[in-house]
Amino acid sequence: MIEVEQLTKRYGSTLAVDDLSFTVEPGTITGFLGPNGAGKSTTLRAILGLVRPDAGRTAVLGRPYRDLDRPIAQVGALLETFDAHPGRSGRNHLRVLAAAGRVPTVRIDELLELVELSESARRRVKGYSLGMRQRLGLAAALLGDPEVLVLDEPANGLDPQGVRWLRDLLREQARNGRTVLISSHVLAEVAQTVDEVVIIHRGKLIRHAAMAEVEAMAAGSTIVRSPDATRLASLLVQEGLEVDSLEESRLAVAAPPERVGEIAAANGVVLHELTTERATLEEVFLQLTASEVSA
Amino acid sequence: MSALVGAELLKLRTTRAWIGFVLIVVALSGISSAAAVGSAQDSVLGTSELSREILSGALFASLIAFLIGVMSVTSEWRHGTVTRTFLVTPRRERVLVAKELSILLVAFGLAALGIAIALVVAVPWLFVENSSLALSDDLVPLIGQIVAASMLWGALGVGVGAVVQSQTPALVGSILWILLVEALIQALLGLIDLEAVAHYLPGQALSAFDGTLDEGLPVWAGGVVGLAWVAALGALGYVRMSRQDVT
Repeated sequence: MIEVEQLTKRYGSTLAVDDLSFTVEPGTITGFLGPNGAGKSTTLRAILGLVRPDAGRTAVLGRPYRDLDRPIAQVGALLETFDAHPGRSGRNHLRVLAAAGRVPTVRIDELLELVELSESARRRVKGYSLGMRQRLGLAAALLGDPEVLVLDEPANGLDPQGVRWLRDLLREQARNGRTVLISSHVLAEVAQTVDEVVIIHRGKLIRHAAMAEVEAMAAGSTIVRSPDATRLASLLVQEGLEVDSLEESRLAVAAPPERVGEIAAANGVVLHELTTERATLEEVFLQLTASEVSA
Repeated sequence: MSALVGAELLKLRTTRAWIGFVLIVVALSGISSAAAVGSAQDSVLGTSELSREILSGALFASLIAFLIGVMSVTSEWRHGTVTRTFLVTPRRERVLVAKELSILLVAFGLAALGIAIALVVAVPWLFVENSSLALSDDLVPLIGQIVAASMLWGALGVGVGAVVQSQTPALVGSILWILLVEALIQALLGLIDLEAVAHYLPGQALSAFDGTLDEGLPVWAGGVVGLAWVAALGALGYVRMSRQDVT
């Protein structure tokens, strides 16, 4: 369980996070979304005790990060900045962490195997590709077999197989009752993975909803074209539907096409076009974050 | 805490820099021991004065311990490894204490290595010269002094690293401080007849302790003042680190 309560963080005159509150429940994968610069990384760093809030509080497993008994076994984190010494081998990087966190050494080789880095493990990190660095970071996050995962843009640099592997891994973690929070600036990228989304923009919470709810928002509207658009519009409104007039003869209706067609037929309205307009997740995302800008 | 000290020692061992540091201690201790024997007049052969000079070469260990101490902290910031370090050990004072403890062990090892190398060079050479290392009662305190001075210098380095954090400014600043700034402060204090106050500056105090500075504080006082500086810099470093955002 991760709790963020009225978190506020300023950097100089920039308000990075503004009175943000949300909770991530065990057994779920929550996507933490927002455009670049929305305050995602700052929030994650506050959760992880790396950044000191100006106001509000964060807690993991019911406690501030700094008060955890054994963080390595409780919270696995991956941040966007690379945190291994370039002159150290991948394996030695994990050895250092395992030593500090009192994790048995056998676990290191297990994880190197899991992230498919066994063959490069004795090479210096300096020569690692972006994908290899990301996988090493994931190995570091998973080292202590933690109950909570906090991952900042974990799919960065992973190839499509890697992304699928990560998705399966996170699903399994959630199935086992663990708490997973992953950030991304691309909603479509995490749509297949997450159960919940927390969308922020300019440090403020825009929406905390089930992914299914966001998908429903993307279901979009029915576009109907009729020479008698005005009459059709009032008929649809009478039926309690939301209607937008797009241009002279076209309407956008917030209802499935079947419903619109039936109402038109029942009233003898001629239709020239009846289609569904499916918004992409990105459009929904942009719409949500844009509405806040104008507000 | 022993796990954290183990991790810190592992950090030092798993990058290549340590090889260079060990080689420098070996080379400088060896060369200065050779120089002491080679340039010795017949009159000093077999005296404990020469023995002191031979062993003093091992004091290079304290310089290296200082540099390792500084870099054990600054390299964390330089390479961003501090993020992972604090994720594993969010109680930052524990990280700092572990770094201090591990540098004490490293400095002890380096000083012992320096002394061993100085002896390895000097003893056979003196034998060839039909002389031998003069052992006297004051050599034991000297060895203790070299070892303790290396440990203090190392611990001071960790404190400097924790306060400054940026690697190049910390290293360049330390060198300038010891070579230039302290002398400058002393000169300025001299203008108002407070020159002796400069003996309490960290460089002078530690130099009084390790025996490289004859004037100034007595050896024991140099050690006490040096220890106070270690504690002060450590505390200052902790204050800076504990409230700092790691971004």
